[in-house]
Amino acid sequence: MKYVGLLLKNVRRNKRRTALTVLSVAIAVFLGASLRAVLQGFTGGTEASSAVRTVTLRKTGLFFFMPVTHVDAIRAAVPGVKHVTWASWFGGIYKDPNNFFAQFAIDPESYLRIYPEIQLPADQKEAFIADRTGAIIGEALARRFNLNVGDRMVLQVGIPVYGEQDYTFTVRGIYTPASSVIDNATMFFHWKYLDERSIVKGQTGFLVQELEDPDRATEIAAAIDQRFANSANETKTVTERQFQGTFVSMFGNLNLLLGSIGLAVIVTTLFVAGNTMAMSVRERTTEIAVMRTLGFSGRAIFVLVAGEAVMMAVVGAIVGGVLARVLVSNETLGMTGFIPPFGVSNGTLVEGLALGALIGVLAGLIPATLAARLKIVDGLRRVA
Amino acid sequence: MGLIGHYNLRSMFVRKVTALMTALGIAMVVAVFVMTLALAQGFRSTLIASGSPDNAIVLRKGSTSETVSGFGQDLVPIVETLPQVARDAKGLPLVSPELVLAVALPRVTDGQDANVPVRGVGPHAFAIRERLRFVEGRPFTRGLNEINVGRMATLRFRGLAMGETLSIAGRPWTIVGIFEGEDASFESEIWGDVDLMNPAFQRQGYQSITAKLVSRDAFDAFKAAIAADPRLNLEAQRENEYYAAQSVVMTTVIGVLGTFVTLILSIGAMFGAMNTMYAAVAHRIREVGTLRALGFSRGAVLLAFIAESTALAVIGGVIGCALALPLHGMSTGTTNMASFTEVAFKFRITPALLGAGVAFAAVMGAIGGLLPAIRAARLPISQALREI
Repeated sequence: MKYVGLLLKNVRRNKRRTALTVLSVAIAVFLGASLRAVLQGFTGGTEASSAVRTVTLRKTGLFFFMPVTHVDAIRAAVPGVKHVTWASWFGGIYKDPNNFFAQFAIDPESYLRIYPEIQLPADQKEAFIADRTGAIIGEALARRFNLNVGDRMVLQVGIPVYGEQDYTFTVRGIYTPASSVIDNATMFFHWKYLDERSIVKGQTGFLVQELEDPDRATEIAAAIDQRFANSANETKTVTERQFQGTFVSMFGNLNLLLGSIGLAVIVTTLFVAGNTMAMSVRERTTEIAVMRTLGFSGRAIFVLVAGEAVMMAVVGAIVGGVLARVLVSNETLGMTGFIPPFGVSNGTLVEGLALGALIGVLAGLIPATLAARLKIVDGLRRVA
Repeated sequence: MGLIGHYNLRSMFVRKVTALMTALGIAMVVAVFVMTLALAQGFRSTLIASGSPDNAIVLRKGSTSETVSGFGQDLVPIVETLPQVARDAKGLPLVSPELVLAVALPRVTDGQDANVPVRGVGPHAFAIRERLRFVEGRPFTRGLNEINVGRMATLRFRGLAMGETLSIAGRPWTIVGIFEGEDASFESEIWGDVDLMNPAFQRQGYQSITAKLVSRDAFDAFKAAIAADPRLNLEAQRENEYYAAQSVVMTTVIGVLGTFVTLILSIGAMFGAMNTMYAAVAHRIREVGTLRALGFSRGAVLLAFIAESTALAVIGGVIGCALALPLHGMSTGTTNMASFTEVAFKFRITPALLGAGVAFAAVMGAIGGLLPAIRAARLPISQALREI
């Protein structure tokens, strides 16, 4: 600790260089944290998924409907299932095709029971359930289109099977998601309203079950699929985690893409910061030799040089991390729609600081070792 | 130029380690830049390769993609008989009514289910898409439960090899041929007889009609004829323009992400270059003073240091391009947001992209070198010569 004063003096010696180095580390941490936030946005739904829920789709794929009578069949024939609900993807267009957001036609009562994560004031919930053309929207969606409870929303039909006429909804509630399983920019409305207008009746896109015992999920999923085996509408039931996982993997190998960009960011900064430290040590060769003559040990010199690198890197990391925390979210970046919501969490912030410190240690290691090993005679003999 | 060649470039080699570190920093930025653009370009060119300006695609009026289009079977004969539609040797119109759906199949790589597009096509589909060729087997026979699979799809998904039987919607379909088509998105698809797919998928009607036109110029008349017919609630687009529009969402997302990352990262690398050049100038104050005393103008010194920094960055740029180059031709896949199905495509690194990477590096170097070069040029001679 007694070297702190000396460290601060050294850092201030070449202010411009220090500033440039601090800023380049800040940029690295800023980018690292932003990429991580985006990745977490994509995988958040998977991680937060509940173990007690399973999802049933048509075996053929997401694009196919199944009769809603499957719900009763499951209630009647599959033990271990506490609740069942159903929903359909609507894919409508609100004003402009670019205003993309997810819309699901749901059976309000049973859906909200299975998804307590959709948090809604009790009066709004009641109003929604009571109104056949009512809808609830996520708070981010409400902000994006400046919608309030009581407002009308007209959606054009996107998928021809839902008829030709536009759908008019009344916003009955604005929900906040309690976990990232539920997106904060989705719209839910009554499946009954959809069914009335649809060309084919009594069809739904997928079912969701709540199980009594999460440990029996695989067994129950198999029992559900067995119930519809060899029928015209065979099903495939998976856990909520698997279901969310297929959506993440749809975007391609994000881990690899964002991971390799992140690696490039770190390596670039290492080169920049390491280079700076090497340069400043080289310039101070004579000075270091003098310090050694005065009795500073090799270890003290090592600590001084490495400490300087770590100090610059940590300051940079704090600047970059805080900036990322304040600036990065999909709303500030104007990226809404297909990209799930993201933001820099406290955990990511801490990781960013750790990353900064690591960059400092690695960048300072070689110059500090060289400085500590310097032979006094060589140092004194050298002219800058 | 003499000064740059003799003095600055040689000085760079004197400080090889520092110079190399700076160059490597820039190399990483250029590598990221080239990689993300190669991704966007690959996706774009895959979709663009799917369309031909000689073909027209007809969708329901106002539809932005096949997925949201739909119309009755009775409209096909009206389109078929338009005079702008090309005919084959037997005099039959080259028109393919189509239906696109998706089935869930596990990927070879991670075993996760992905949405693989299944396209029900008319008997002339292969004649209309001239670029498609069979690498194995033969086209499906009309009226039989036979299918053809694109080359990319056979490689990416399980159970799509030649001769295998695929169960779709409870019916068995035999794979009788594998086709390829210059990386077009059709290579990621499964094709079969539209008139069998319709009942199998419990659908009525079609989603699109693709027609080969008598000539490229006939398109305007074709479009006008469809718009003029009150029986048709349809709209024609050139096939290539349609597919180019399908790539916009995805290319924009990749483009925005890539630009965001590379721009910010390039600032970091520029700071690195700046540090290096400031140190270079500080080291060589006496040399700069000598040069000025010998009669080199401030402008020459300024230019020389900017050139040194630019050269350093260009070396970095070339290394960066070399780092990214192995990705060329590597195939990957993503979901095409316009159709919600998976499209396989290859990273495409074109000479123009490499040129852009090096140019980007040069700009970083020039900007990074500017301030240090100004400092070098502004040094008063007397003070510079006195410096130890």
